[in-house]
Amino acid sequence: MEAEEIIRTEHLTYEYQAGCPVLQDLSVSIHKGEKIAVMGSNGAGKSTFFLHLNGVLQAGKGKIFYGGAEIRRKDLNGLRKHVGFVFQDADNQMIASSVQAEVAFGPMNLKLPKEEVKKRVSEALEYMDLQGYRERPPHYLSGGEKKRVSIADIIAMKPEVILFDEPTAALDPLGGELLEDVLERLSKEGKTLLVSTHDVDFAYRWAERALIFHQGKLAADGGTLEIFQQEQVLRETHLKKPEMLTVYEALLQKGRIRKGSYPRRAGELPGALI
Amino acid sequence: MGVFGLHKNSHHSHGVRNIDFYASQSKIRHWNDSFKVASSCIILLLCMILDQPEVSITVIVTMGIVNIWANRVPALAYIGLLKVPLAFLAIGCIIIALGISKQPMGDYRVFLCGHYFYTTNEGVGRAAALFFKAMGAVSAMYALTLSTSASELAGVLKKAHVPKAVVELMNMMYRFIFILTEVQGRMKTAAVSRLGYVDFKASCYSFGKIGGNLFLVSLKKANTYYDAMVSRGYEGDLPFWEEEKQVKLWQAGALMLYLCGLAGVYILATR
Repeated sequence: MEAEEIIRTEHLTYEYQAGCPVLQDLSVSIHKGEKIAVMGSNGAGKSTFFLHLNGVLQAGKGKIFYGGAEIRRKDLNGLRKHVGFVFQDADNQMIASSVQAEVAFGPMNLKLPKEEVKKRVSEALEYMDLQGYRERPPHYLSGGEKKRVSIADIIAMKPEVILFDEPTAALDPLGGELLEDVLERLSKEGKTLLVSTHDVDFAYRWAERALIFHQGKLAADGGTLEIFQQEQVLRETHLKKPEMLTVYEALLQKGRIRKGSYPRRAGELPGALI
Repeated sequence: MGVFGLHKNSHHSHGVRNIDFYASQSKIRHWNDSFKVASSCIILLLCMILDQPEVSITVIVTMGIVNIWANRVPALAYIGLLKVPLAFLAIGCIIIALGISKQPMGDYRVFLCGHYFYTTNEGVGRAAALFFKAMGAVSAMYALTLSTSASELAGVLKKAHVPKAVVELMNMMYRFIFILTEVQGRMKTAAVSRLGYVDFKASCYSFGKIGGNLFLVSLKKANTYYDAMVSRGYEGDLPFWEEEKQVKLWQAGALMLYLCGLAGVYILATR
């Protein structure tokens, strides 16, 4: 049974300057609890798409529906409440002068009572393992720590859907691992996650569904595996095939791996070998 | 990573950054902000009104202890901070003590280029008193700024019913100072690595270019920044989270005791 639809866009079109659309006729339907990788080369429209889903930008043409209801201008704040956006550069998101004030910014804007704000801040800090950082000024933290704060920012707002704009970009390997761990936990809690990324290996490993953007249009939409098997789509959108898939195909040709096993991470490989 | 790990990014040290850094690790940052503002203002006013060098020196010494011990500013760094106003004050005080005349006058004089530069015992005393008074005031203000971050000060202003727009602007500007100094630092490093500061002419050119770029970058940054705020529900209000800090009885008591001490010094000095 398919999960209920949470966000739908219909013929979404947006141009920063007249005549050069960044998004063109984008229709996509997102369901509750999905793990979606959003891919495409730089300038393909991923970030603009996210800004629309979050209600920061308003579509020039087209419609957005949340939970079946159309989002009009006056509903934009409601959309922002339900959809959280973790920005690519954590520095652009930091606003307050201590980590706890920073995390409290969203809940304060939601006009929650003080006690509730306090509770949510504590929970979010614990979630991101940041309890020891409460009173530190965020601008003195390291890149990885800032990223964690910027995620805690959003978790404290308890949105249903969370958008991550290239979260793996500025992280060291350990940071990347922690991030995947957090994504996994959020997903288990039933959050709908959309992650934009250039890392095809990460996308293959983590996502169930992929949206491929190319020049402002949706070039492909489907299961991650299915999409990475379409050589032509990969060529047209300048994407690479994930390493694990290449390894699988090579081993399959030699008859050394179980057909249809599709290991997604190196750890799953030994179990799939014949 | 300990407290000192925080220093690792600060090799492009800026004044703002340092003061702010100390405020974030001060032992008395948990004290009620309004209380800190009020007490340092009272001490400053006492310095001004009592106008006694003995009182001023007591304030300089005690505030020095507060800054080095409670605000955890290394003694050398604190002296460095004091040097900034010191230079201005020294020049000002010399000018006050000094007189110029055609006739020989005063208790001490030097004859230079047909004029007497003279000073009197009273003049020196007055200049010294002024110097100590001003340094006392500066020390009291340092005790405040080294224990209270700019946004906490903004919070106090807000409580004092300073218009919201001013307070919020202060917060935003404060945040932007860090962004801009960081961006500027990065641009400068990039320019240096391409020999942009190889001689005076190149330095001027690079400096100008960086200034121009900084303007464009700040516009762009302001845009993304705004988007990020809107995406977290910003609707024209910045209701910052403020920790509730109660004034403890012993803190108020300590302040009273200190003020009584200052009064005592004053009485002893004027008797």
